[in-house]
Amino acid sequence: MIILNKDKPQKNEYIFWDESEKITSINKKKVILTKGLWIQKGQLLKKNKIISGIQLNSDESLDEITDDILYFSLVQFNFLSFKDGRPFSIAKTLRKKFNFKKEIRASGHILPDQYIFLIRCGFDTVEIEDKDFDVWVRFFKMDEGLYYQ
Amino acid sequence: MAKKLKGEQFYLSANDLISGDVVYLAKNKWSRNFNDAIKIKRIDIERYEKIAVEDENKCLIVGPIFIELTEEGKIRRLRDKIRKNGLTININQ
Amino acid sequence: MYKYSEKDKKILKKRTSEFKYQVERRLNGDLTEDEFKPLRLMNGLYLQLHAYMLRVAIPYGELSYLQLKKLAEISKKFDRGYGHFTTRQNIQFNWPKLTDVPKILEELASVEMHAIQTSGNCIRNISCDHLAGINNEEVEDPRPWCEIIRQWSTFHPEFSFLPRKFKIAVTASKKDRAAIEVHDIGLRLVKKNSRIGFEVYVGGGQGRSPFIAKKIKDFLDKKDLLNYLEAILSVYNELGRRDNIYKARIKILVNELGEEKIRSMIEDKYKNFVDKKLELSENKVKEIYNFFKLPIKHSKNSIIPKVDNVEFKQWVKQNVINHKIKGYSVVMVSLKPLGKPPGDMNAIQMNKLSQLSHDYSFGEIRVTHEQNILLPHVENKRIYDLWLKLKKIGLSTPNIGLISDIICCPGMDYCALATARSIPISQKISHSFNNYSQQKNIGDLKIKISGCINACGHHHVGNIGILGLDKNGEESYQITLGGSATENASIGEIVGPSFPESELMGALNTILKTYKKNRISEDEDFLKVFNRIGINEFKKDLYDNPQ
Repeated sequence: MIILNKDKPQKNEYIFWDESEKITSINKKKVILTKGLWIQKGQLLKKNKIISGIQLNSDESLDEITDDILYFSLVQFNFLSFKDGRPFSIAKTLRKKFNFKKEIRASGHILPDQYIFLIRCGFDTVEIEDKDFDVWVRFFKMDEGLYYQ
Repeated sequence: MAKKLKGEQFYLSANDLISGDVVYLAKNKWSRNFNDAIKIKRIDIERYEKIAVEDENKCLIVGPIFIELTEEGKIRRLRDKIRKNGLTININQ
Repeated sequence: MYKYSEKDKKILKKRTSEFKYQVERRLNGDLTEDEFKPLRLMNGLYLQLHAYMLRVAIPYGELSYLQLKKLAEISKKFDRGYGHFTTRQNIQFNWPKLTDVPKILEELASVEMHAIQTSGNCIRNISCDHLAGINNEEVEDPRPWCEIIRQWSTFHPEFSFLPRKFKIAVTASKKDRAAIEVHDIGLRLVKKNSRIGFEVYVGGGQGRSPFIAKKIKDFLDKKDLLNYLEAILSVYNELGRRDNIYKARIKILVNELGEEKIRSMIEDKYKNFVDKKLELSENKVKEIYNFFKLPIKHSKNSIIPKVDNVEFKQWVKQNVINHKIKGYSVVMVSLKPLGKPPGDMNAIQMNKLSQLSHDYSFGEIRVTHEQNILLPHVENKRIYDLWLKLKKIGLSTPNIGLISDIICCPGMDYCALATARSIPISQKISHSFNNYSQQKNIGDLKIKISGCINACGHHHVGNIGILGLDKNGEESYQITLGGSATENASIGEIVGPSFPESELMGALNTILKTYKKNRISEDEDFLKVFNRIGINEFKKDLYDNPQ
């Protein structure tokens, strides 16, 4: 997998944490964890000052994590289907209502045809398969910055 | 695709991906000619469903559906008859 | 009329090449059909019963003669020589090939047209009062606002993957010709304390569960229009149901949350999210307004010729409406001639009408949501000439607003979703009431026919609505009475069990008899009688004492 930022790959500094490693051994790492796990273990991670990103599936809202949003170093929206457009609005909510300035990432089932929409709604990066790199870059380059909104 | 199908025999139909024309599964090919269509028995449905999905992925067809037949082997539903015979109205353009 | 800026042209060109690339990727297998489908839908390309169908946008129903000419050309070159005008003021072609569609889009782009926003779960083509800018009642011309909304909603990054389609209609009159109360959002320009702003209606719609929209704002400052629309759409995008396609429209959300709750959520978003960039400055609005100036310079002392021709007189009475400028008229061109599918027009007619629009109406044409066409600015003294020419091409049927002026979806003859045919029903009705005085005697009456519960034929809001169902493999038709899509919008009541096709005309005749025997005077139209006597009288005659 590649983390794409604009038209360049970006080093993925995060590991996906699902409790298979002990908290003590992820101390120096940056982790991404699901909303469910955050609700259970979030306070512990905070106490240990572990740099954390949260992954929200596209059908999950910000409910129950609103108090922690500014703690996250990354919010990753995992699209269960590219047709589920909720993250486009939730990303906007993050930026506007919560003033969240850190990285917003897209992962899961998302199409290169949606790349510019993602960027314009406040996403910074997208996790894609290596083989799709060229098509994504092509869509990025097709954008001429001409929009109505 | 095969959910809630009535009857014991069927045709498999779809639209040609490029032209959109109605096509029927014939022996080893998709045909625009209804007379080429092969009858499919209920027990073989799953096998043909696979063929349909494969051919959609192979970019040959789009929107595969099974056409229900009566015991006499005639098309059961009006929409499938219209699909086979064309418009029932005279557009007279 | 609006003219494309360089920016508009570039955006359209980019979309056209993007779609070409999407088709390539579908054909070489890079995109699965599941992935391609929403992308092609966003370019108006459906798969129907027999073939693909391409729906071309006619933003707020306004066409130039050059555009109509291009539509004629496309229908001949890439289709079967005709097109079908829809209730959303668009046109659809029924037989294009997938590989021709990128070429068609290029041709359309050459006359500033496209198929964007005609399908898919995005904000659809904006619809509008067909008499906008040419009637005397409105507070101001709503078309510039439609254009402003068109621009804002085109490829909106946040609202291109909504739970379901989203339709907006705009009017500026008390009299509602745009059916705003059965749209996801209806906007009405109103004047309050000498200021002009919008009344905002949300959550109307037809389909499986019809709802009349709720008025959620009495007065919205014009400059805040786009910010307010964003707030509504954001709430809907986050909370609209995605688990069930039949419950995904905003009408369901409004109904589930209740009027108060949805209003406060929208207001909350609106206050939190106001984007200065979206505020509409007076200059911006004026710039758009300038495109919509009337082409008529002065009023004239011009009158409609008095010709001793019964047909012509009937047509003038039925199809010609006063223009707001003295000496001019609005000429309604009925697309409901005897025996033809409602809303259809062939390439020859399109070409000739394009020329007539150029010669008689400053090159302007409009499409109505009732599937007719109009020539907006015809000088009175030339109306007889125009009529003679319309008659030659079969476009002079004098039936606007009468029983044969039927709204009708394509039904099972074309549509993959339909449960019954609808065009043959409309043809039977028009054959049965083909005589003008017979129709006139029945008076104003809107019949609307849908071939399935999705209600593309607006049956819920027909004075008489007809819904085609599949009953154990047989076509069967359910009748609703008392619906209306005007300023007093209402959903029709189901009169009782449905009728097989063979009994439908008999039932319709019984309904008309009940109406006629109950009307107080010939001026009392069907809807008035229905509202006065209620549905039971009709039920009795239909089911208890069938004749």
